[in-house]
Amino acid sequence: MNFDDRLDQAARQLAKEISPERDLWPGIEQAIRTPQRRTPWLAQAAAVVLLVGASSGITYLAMKGESGPVVAVQPELIFEKAAFGGDYHLGPGFQDARNSLRSQLDAELASLSPAAQQDIQANLDVIHEAIVEINTALEQDPDNVLLQQQLLRAYREELALLRRVGGLTRNVMTRNDI
Amino acid sequence: MEALLTVSGSDYSRRMGKTHHDSEADEQAYIRRAQRSDARAFEALYRLHVDKVYGLCLRMTGNVSEAEDCTQEAFILAWNKLAKFRGDSAFSTWLHRIAVNAVLGRIRKSKREQDRIQAVADTEPTRTTAADTGEMRDLAEAVDRLPEGARHVFVLHAVYGYTHDEAAEMLDIATGTSKAQMHRARRLLAQQLEKQGFES
Repeated sequence: MNFDDRLDQAARQLAKEISPERDLWPGIEQAIRTPQRRTPWLAQAAAVVLLVGASSGITYLAMKGESGPVVAVQPELIFEKAAFGGDYHLGPGFQDARNSLRSQLDAELASLSPAAQQDIQANLDVIHEAIVEINTALEQDPDNVLLQQQLLRAYREELALLRRVGGLTRNVMTRNDI
Repeated sequence: MEALLTVSGSDYSRRMGKTHHDSEADEQAYIRRAQRSDARAFEALYRLHVDKVYGLCLRMTGNVSEAEDCTQEAFILAWNKLAKFRGDSAFSTWLHRIAVNAVLGRIRKSKREQDRIQAVADTEPTRTTAADTGEMRDLAEAVDRLPEGARHVFVLHAVYGYTHDEAAEMLDIATGTSKAQMHRARRLLAQQLEKQGFES
């Protein structure tokens, strides 16, 4: 038997399972039980999304029932914690603004042609489908930055579409620096 | 089942008189529970596999404290990636790959490999274990002294039996590089072991 054969034989006999000299579980447990801190980037981006949504909703509420010229409404800063993924939901402030815009959407749609209504609804369906799919993916991979960015973009596009349809783009602060 | 959580993984099946099939069924159940964020089930998986993961980390790093850190990192990574585990390979193989990534990631971050090799060469081996005795201990210590690339390939290919293709994929190197590192490892080990009377 030459050296290489002897070496191979000896290597296969080396112990493959070795017990650590101390219990390593407490350190692992501490790491996995500590809630993962969301990145400042995500918190900031979430706040901006909420700001856009809330200010749009406020503008809509201020304009509701007005028949005269549009009155500029100073957007109010509403920061609200929100995180995304299957086990998180957007905050109630964002949801209220979104619901208000959705309500207005129905009225605005009624004044549009059937073709335009169909186009707008199709666009919204695409965005909603994307939101559902991204949320499902985030359930499996909650720290995936690309998915988080895509989700934020989807919410932003939904809000932009709602604002365009409602004619609320004037005098509303917008942010594109997410 | 709760008893499992307080018994060392390598002893668990023997003490409980479980068959290999039973252990596999248990493992699958623990994986499913852990995938639903059950930390107790994940602890059970840790107990079952820690010796395999730590053994690999120790062979690859040649250092107890680094092996401990890599083992912890590997299990934390495994917890974070567990939802992606689909059972296409054995759970132990999946863990092995994560452990190799943990070792490589740690080395990339620290950039202290040369210092570590020198420290190991200058001092008594830090990884001597009861698992290796006599001639095997000489070999284990010689493997510890190998340069990083040669050691990683030798451990994965010669000790753990991965093919050069598999080792190359795990180490993110070309298959030819894996073979070259293995050749280098053999040459360096021959130089070290023949001095110590390693029988041929």
